[in-house]
Amino acid sequence: MFLQQLINALTIGSLYALTAMGATLIYGILGILDIANAGAYLVGAYVGWYIFHATGSIVLAFIGSMALVGLGGVVLQRTVYSPILAKPRTLSIIPLVAAVGLFTMSSDAVRLICGAGTKAYNLKFPVMVYKFTVFGKKLTIQPAWIMIFVLTAVLLFILWFILNRTKLGLAWRATAEDAEIAGVCGVNTSYAMALSYILGYGFAAAAGIMTGILYNSITPALGEVPSYKMLAIIVLGGLGNPLGTVIAGLLIGIAEVFLSVYFNLPIPKDAIAFVVLIIMLLIKPSGLLGRKNKV
Amino acid sequence: MKKRQVISMIACAVCTLAVGTAAFAEDTIKIGFFAPVSAPSAAADGQSSLQSAKLAVDLINEAGGIDGKQVELVDYDDGLDTTEAANIAEKLTTDDSIAAIVSGSYSGPTKVAAPIAQEAGKLLVSAYAVHPDVVNAGDLVFSQSFPGSVQGTAAAVFAGEVLQAKRVAIVAVDLDFGTEQATYFKQKAAEYGIEIVSEDYIAISDNDMTSVITKIAGEDVDLIYSVNYYEQASEVCRQVALQGLECAILGTEGADSWQLLETAGEFANGLYITTNMNRDDENEKTQEYIDKYIETYNMQPDMVGASVYDAFQVLFDAMANVGTDTQAMKEYIAGMKDFDTVTGTLLYYNEAGSAVKPVQVQQVTDGEYHFAATIDDAAIIDPANY
Repeated sequence: MFLQQLINALTIGSLYALTAMGATLIYGILGILDIANAGAYLVGAYVGWYIFHATGSIVLAFIGSMALVGLGGVVLQRTVYSPILAKPRTLSIIPLVAAVGLFTMSSDAVRLICGAGTKAYNLKFPVMVYKFTVFGKKLTIQPAWIMIFVLTAVLLFILWFILNRTKLGLAWRATAEDAEIAGVCGVNTSYAMALSYILGYGFAAAAGIMTGILYNSITPALGEVPSYKMLAIIVLGGLGNPLGTVIAGLLIGIAEVFLSVYFNLPIPKDAIAFVVLIIMLLIKPSGLLGRKNKV
Repeated sequence: MKKRQVISMIACAVCTLAVGTAAFAEDTIKIGFFAPVSAPSAAADGQSSLQSAKLAVDLINEAGGIDGKQVELVDYDDGLDTTEAANIAEKLTTDDSIAAIVSGSYSGPTKVAAPIAQEAGKLLVSAYAVHPDVVNAGDLVFSQSFPGSVQGTAAAVFAGEVLQAKRVAIVAVDLDFGTEQATYFKQKAAEYGIEIVSEDYIAISDNDMTSVITKIAGEDVDLIYSVNYYEQASEVCRQVALQGLECAILGTEGADSWQLLETAGEFANGLYITTNMNRDDENEKTQEYIDKYIETYNMQPDMVGASVYDAFQVLFDAMANVGTDTQAMKEYIAGMKDFDTVTGTLLYYNEAGSAVKPVQVQQVTDGEYHFAATIDDAAIIDPANY
């Protein structure tokens, strides 16, 4: 059962990591907590659903939804966030309030346009479940989990490759280090910001589709839990640190599954992320992989 | 100048008189209503609720209204917010033209609105809120739904007598809805010698049932009592099937929704639920409601909608018999016996104002809810016995 629960935990953790990655990339560049990523997660799940049911192709659903939502992110960055941040002496709470507003709007827009009811992905896998026996214990692996592991790994590899092996990635890292100096040195910081939004919102959209497939259900309330849990994950990972976010996502997934299954905790499972965060902040205030000067 | 003033004064007077006469001659009966239409987490129930309210009003108006008067629905969206519910209750209770109020909302908003209605002397019928505090607000508040005590006990009776369950795992939503039903289920289950092997209370925001079902898989249970709303209940059904557990699942009215059939698909087959609507009831009213609802909205009705529809039927019947005086309506409703509703025969209202009616057990077969059993033992279905 331990191995089975570990697999369950890593599945959930992978989704958490991917969901929070957008907020991490955006914090890394703009220094703002973009709750609207949860809106991208919600809208991405719905756009993917419509594409899947129109074309019958889940690959097209992922690509189409990630591209559309990613571009939507750039539009928001250009029309909402950048103008706010360009104003002198902008309080850091202002973009956060704008993000909360955008997230609320996205939930309501989805409800009004797509309806209040549940939609089922109904993605049929050739095999419903794989069964193994490991050390005399039964083990089941569901194809949706394999899809989540593989896709998350592929997307995170693409992210690593872009950030570490391309000029655009170099521009991103330079901008994240110090946008002003990077700009003076000729780095096009505007591209770096756009990259954050395309990748961040795109990843959130992919996570939304995967959640929809995993539970075979999407509703206008889909973004509610990620909207606050992603904050715990990105802060735990060390604000703005992509690798830290992956580790934090997996850690929260493991903590949630094992604490809720083996201990009858008097607190809701969703609160575990914040308990872990508080303990972490007491031990290492900069987060798992955060640098001290970032906090 | 003076002449002009006189003319404008006359014009004003004529207008006021015209408006006043129109209002005076208004031949409608207004019924106040609220439901959680815009709260993302409750919007599907809000929609079902509002649609059924509109259907009830449209059908009575098509049939000529009540005593020749048309019925008008004054509906509000509480957004599942208690402050908003209080504001709505204030608005509805301070408007003299509102004859009575129907709550198409959850326990939270209804618990707030009920005392305001009671204080203001307005009748309120709650459609499906389960919390006992709703009817405890006073004698002007009635409830159409079973409290958790009735449904939880009825579930244990079905588990013990029909399913012959011996080892049961409880998976319940961590809200009054889940904990109350689970508590009464455990009490009654003990009488049948049922062993409660595990109890898990899951936050409403958490749809992941994988780890809980994995844990239960190692417990060799013959029944899972799932006191969850449809999204979580759907995930219980899916994970039980995918992880290969060979046990029955008994749900509640929270799983009574077309949405569960959609998301759980074939995995829902075999699921039992305790609820108030029997889809196979040959009663004309039940079938008329189901047909009209599908025809009007192109979707299947559910327990929430049916309960709202019934709340309106109770009010319509009272208004048709004794008019719209609050005290007269209250006395009429309190004395109702064997009233035919969409959700079966409403036997009577107990002293607290809770409807006493048989509990239906439905089972999903071939992707549809069908009759499995009825529990009508008076000792079980009257909330006053708990």
